[in-house]
Amino acid sequence: MAGHDIFRLSDVSVHYGRRAALEGITAQIPCGALVALVGPNGAGKSTLLRSLLGWLPLSRGEIRLGDEHPRHLHPRLAYLPQRLEIDWDFPISVRGVVSQGRWPALGLLGRFNAAERERVDRALEELDLTALADEQIRRLSGGQQQRMFLARAIAQGADIFLLDEPFNGLDLAASAELLHLFQRWLGQGRTVIAAVHDLPLARAHFSHALLLDTRLVAAGPTAEALSEANIDLAYHRRMPVLGARP
Amino acid sequence: MTLLHAWLIEPFGYDFMQRGLLSALLLSISGGLLGSVLVLRRLALMGDALTHSLLPGLALAWMLLGRGPLALLAGAVATGLITVLGSALIGRLTRLKEDAAFGSFFLVAYAAGIALVSQAGTRVDLLHFLFGNVLGVSPVDLVLSASAAGITLIAFVIAYRGIVLEIFDPIFSRSAGMRGGWYYGGFLVLAVVNLVAALQTMGVILALGLFLLPAATAYLWCDRFATMLGLSVVVGMAGSAVGLALSYHTGISSGPSIVLSLGAAFLGSALGSPRYGLLHAARQAWRERRSVRHTTD
Repeated sequence: MAGHDIFRLSDVSVHYGRRAALEGITAQIPCGALVALVGPNGAGKSTLLRSLLGWLPLSRGEIRLGDEHPRHLHPRLAYLPQRLEIDWDFPISVRGVVSQGRWPALGLLGRFNAAERERVDRALEELDLTALADEQIRRLSGGQQQRMFLARAIAQGADIFLLDEPFNGLDLAASAELLHLFQRWLGQGRTVIAAVHDLPLARAHFSHALLLDTRLVAAGPTAEALSEANIDLAYHRRMPVLGARP
Repeated sequence: MTLLHAWLIEPFGYDFMQRGLLSALLLSISGGLLGSVLVLRRLALMGDALTHSLLPGLALAWMLLGRGPLALLAGAVATGLITVLGSALIGRLTRLKEDAAFGSFFLVAYAAGIALVSQAGTRVDLLHFLFGNVLGVSPVDLVLSASAAGITLIAFVIAYRGIVLEIFDPIFSRSAGMRGGWYYGGFLVLAVVNLVAALQTMGVILALGLFLLPAATAYLWCDRFATMLGLSVVVGMAGSAVGLALSYHTGISSGPSIVLSLGAAFLGSALGSPRYGLLHAARQAWRERRSVRHTTD
């Protein structure tokens, strides 16, 4: 699977009213890559994630997911909510959340049989959550909470994971653990696309990057895409470059 | 035993008490289900606003169309919709936020309702409207209660997964192809229908108590949504029975006495729930302070 492009964007533009959130993005995202979306606030990182999920109407251009257009309900795509968006006091167990991954395929009334349960068990096991399966979700650490949503995505059968600032609010150890997991997936055919605002982290751990400033500033392997020159361009040289200060 | 019999069983020997009890038990089913959504979606105050806004519709319907349940339902749905849509519109199109819009609307509606009732003179009994009267539960009201409870139960059985996702993770629910707007709209319609059905026993303002209090109580005891739904229904039923008996013995209106007995369950839980109660929280805070003192000593 690795080697070909999973997403192809040609001339993608998105407008909110008259304001352009994304303009003329043309890029490819290779299958099995670990991709960082980088750019200043308002550069269109979240908008691009939502467009890739097929949630936003494009005002121009086209996005192709393999041979299709991305759309709601696409079983290969999984979006991970920001941790702040979730009510952690909701009366539900870890297993309950991971089981939700099967609901889009089952619909409202499809029977949750032994095969479904088995898929959920495997997803729990893969993300090392079996021992915590019956805990209420508030009792998990930040890193475990992220893994729970990844397990839900895997139970769904997704192989493309879109994450909005997954490292926000995680401590160093939890971030490292999550990165370690993504690195393990690298080359397994699973694609991770994450909006990231921490440049050193993106540089150190991601295989590819898309640098945005409403328009596409650079795309490609991280070392090239996130070169100092490109970063200066995207952040309008407002970024204090270490060592350049008087 | 005989005391219990005299206190809790004997009152329900009368026809009107049986009808009142049956109506309250039926509405405990829908109340527990809808109340759980109200608590988890943080719509409790909106529910409160909604109940107040029903009053003018009910009063107008009573004056113009008589006191048939369908007429009352039509009036309530009309003013309920005006409040919900009006405050949503103001919340979205002006700088006012939705809670302020809701609050303003419900005060105006409530005042209009009281004005209408007092203008109607003796034709409409304000106290009856506000606090409920178990004597007033007619067989037709019972049919309305049974229908409201039945429709709500069926909706929850069919749409259970969608409801969980709509409350817990609306973004995932959207990516799973579920229509959030339909769920919200359906919820509001079910809420209004059940509030009107509860009107005779509970009164317009306190009807919400049969929704909110059982769910708030159950939420303090359990960690699974399905358990919370079931426990809310059970608490609602028990509170209704005890409340109606209390009303029979003391002469307090049935609405307040049901809400008071549910309130006892709620306060008891808020204090004593082993995991989420105040006493538990206080004990933990005390333990933490003590361990801090030990380590600093």
